[in-house]
Amino acid sequence: MFENGIFNMKSKVNVVPSNSAMSKIGGNSDIATALLGAALLLSGIESAHSQSIPSEASLNFKYLNYEEKQQGLKRITAKAPSLQLILPIAGEWLLDGALTSDDVSGASPRYHTAISGASKMSDYRKAADLSLTRYFENTSLSIGSSYSSEHDYDSLALSITAAFSTPDKNRTWSFGVGASSDTINPTNKIVRDEHKKSKNILLGVSQILTPVDLVQFTVTHGRGEGYFSDPYKLLDERPRHRNQSSVFARWNHHLPESGATARVAYRYYRDSFSIKAHTFQAELEKELVDGWSITPLLRVYSQSAAGFYFDPVYDSQFGEPFPRGYQFGVKQFSSADQRLSGFGALTLGVSISKKMQNQWAIDFRLERYEQRTQWRLFHRGSTGLLPLSATIMQIGLSKQW
Amino acid sequence: MRHGDSDSHQNKMSRIQRRLSMLIVIGIVCATTGCSLIRPVQVWDKGYLAKNSMKFDYDKLAMKNGEHIYTSKEAASGSSSVGGGGCGCN
Repeated sequence: MFENGIFNMKSKVNVVPSNSAMSKIGGNSDIATALLGAALLLSGIESAHSQSIPSEASLNFKYLNYEEKQQGLKRITAKAPSLQLILPIAGEWLLDGALTSDDVSGASPRYHTAISGASKMSDYRKAADLSLTRYFENTSLSIGSSYSSEHDYDSLALSITAAFSTPDKNRTWSFGVGASSDTINPTNKIVRDEHKKSKNILLGVSQILTPVDLVQFTVTHGRGEGYFSDPYKLLDERPRHRNQSSVFARWNHHLPESGATARVAYRYYRDSFSIKAHTFQAELEKELVDGWSITPLLRVYSQSAAGFYFDPVYDSQFGEPFPRGYQFGVKQFSSADQRLSGFGALTLGVSISKKMQNQWAIDFRLERYEQRTQWRLFHRGSTGLLPLSATIMQIGLSKQW
Repeated sequence: MRHGDSDSHQNKMSRIQRRLSMLIVIGIVCATTGCSLIRPVQVWDKGYLAKNSMKFDYDKLAMKNGEHIYTSKEAASGSSSVGGGGCGCN
């Protein structure tokens, strides 16, 4: 049952009988659960925790199609296939690697949501992520790296994460440190060889509360310095330091009677640009017959504006895009980037997946994203911007062995 | 140090003290009641927890795609990992 001190998972999928099977066991859910538990114990099922190495390898493919619109006009379109390999090695190591290519094209406003004079762009991004984790009896150590390259932007990031579990594997503490280095060379050559460097730390704890409840609480803090401005936006001058903090909590709850799992998450974010943001996310995965499952999902987001963001109220003398009272030659932080304004956003979506024979699985996910200034929940300011909407579609295929 | 700076420093210190007090209170409450209320779950009771749908990273590629989109359209980023790189996102 134990392999090098780690629970070995013999069969990760479909380990729990369906509702009908449960009722056939005897009709009494307590007895059924006890029998199920005994069966799992005898068959050597792993603990559900992050400290357990999966015994099965998997190859996952995903194709993302993203289309964004503003006032009925197409803005950014992205098509991004990605491939991920998860490979356990010798029962002690786990290799997780992913490759992504991202074909982005369209037009992006040079200030606020102005359509005329939007900068046309076309870019091809390649990204690779690789992590290697070594599992010990109650500890794991993971080293990760990620690389992303565009014709005007390169990024390299490294991370180390350590996780410590209690002997019963009901609680896991995680500590992580990371660093990234970005190089920016915009095509308009407004700056050359600019850099952005950041360091971040993480402290997290996962806890099994009951046989059907798992919670996680994570705090992160990052400090960055360098070029944070957007070189393609007009009058975009941002501070060269940005500190970011977030508190993140999530809770997974399984409902055995209905064969459904609820996943709920909340994040509070704040940074030194004076932006505060709340994110709430909820999903309900419902198992259907013949390996099908359906997951409706909801995401609610709200942020306040950056301290140096200015509303689309322009100077009477200089006109657009100059903010009211603009003074030439006086260096001041300013941005007319919609992403730094105060707004609220809503995502509604659904995911459908099907487990097939020989451990193949397919999935399809469709989401609609809407962003509106008037939807901000807790913050003031930021008016006069056009709504933004996007359709996000993902198709996936995976194989385990 | 100017008068304004002194006020601001005192305000900052009192904010820090308030937060520290809150953390200490939470710690004491957790140590004396909350955490001890959690009854250890035995290994034979972890069948449902082993399901894919109960894992936090059940579909990493979809999560990563989502994070990339939201990071490029919103100001907030980061949550449960470290070492993520940036992009020249439009």
